Amino acid sequence: MAAAFTSKSLRAARSLLGGIGNNLGVQGMPHEMSCSEFLFQQCRTFIQMRTNLKVVDNSGAKRVMCIQALKGKKGARLGDTIVASVKESQPGGKVKKGDVVYGVVVRAAMPRGRCDGSEVKFDDNAVVLVNKQGEPIGTRVFGPVPHELRKKKHVKILSLAEHIA
Amino acid sequence: MRLEKCWFCSSTVYPGHGIQFVRNDAKIFRFCRSKCHKNFKMKRNPRKVKWTKAYRRLHGKDMTQDSTFEFERKRNRPERYDRNLAENTLKAIKKIDKVRVEREARHHENRFKGKRSKEQKEAAKELKQSIDMIRAPAALQQEPSLILPKKVKVSSQQSEENRMEE
Repeated sequence: MAAAFTSKSLRAARSLLGGIGNNLGVQGMPHEMSCSEFLFQQCRTFIQMRTNLKVVDNSGAKRVMCIQALKGKKGARLGDTIVASVKESQPGGKVKKGDVVYGVVVRAAMPRGRCDGSEVKFDDNAVVLVNKQGEPIGTRVFGPVPHELRKKKHVKILSLAEHIA
Repeated sequence: MRLEKCWFCSSTVYPGHGIQFVRNDAKIFRFCRSKCHKNFKMKRNPRKVKWTKAYRRLHGKDMTQDSTFEFERKRNRPERYDRNLAENTLKAIKKIDKVRVEREARHHENRFKGKRSKEQKEAAKELKQSIDMIRAPAALQQEPSLILPKKVKVSSQQSEENRMEE
């Protein structure tokens, strides 16, 4: 009985998937989702040691791995600063592979409470590299960033950002 | 303070309620409660889910075009505070709301009008067609009380007399 129901719902979901994806104009959405992924979304958690993050500035790094969260027992959240090591970088950038850098988490998939009690979450985990004084290394910031960065005294990142959510 | 609309069910999201999801292209999806958020995560289309406003609007269940909806609009320019204006606005809100509710009730009444006569017609038809399931057709011919009222009408007095005798 249960098996029959799941298979039925899956089929319906498959047929829906294409239609909705087109309607919303979703780009880069994985259309071949497995059953478990589709029914039970992964529970997002803190940014902790060995979390891979996307770098969304033009400092030259592409992917960094968190090696230390500078705040919080369990790990870093949206707006927190982390120490990371550069895992992938573009040639001719300001940072090289293997560098130990500081970064501000500007997007996190884990929901974060806002000052009014609602919550905000993002598509991915992304970071903007900063130096020890908290000034960004790059000169551009891509994608949306939360306005909570103002509270964390990262006004420079906010002013560079394309969109503020 | 701004009252946003839920992306899924189009209800009002009051400050401090719900969750918002920011896609990488900076489109913000606001949800009034976890129900709507879960339905979004399941990739459901609000136009195909019956309890959403989008479905009801699409299928003509609710009033869609009305002058009372014109007042509710997104305004990006903050109005300068004026005591009289605020007072009048507060008065108008009540009045407009009353008008809207009345018009909505009328719209629903109009919508149900066709349905009621249709239902009655269908019930009469069913009675006529499937009375055989309760009583055999041969028995029906003998039993005067089970004959449909139309046929009885011709000799209503007679049938009553028959029943009395029984």
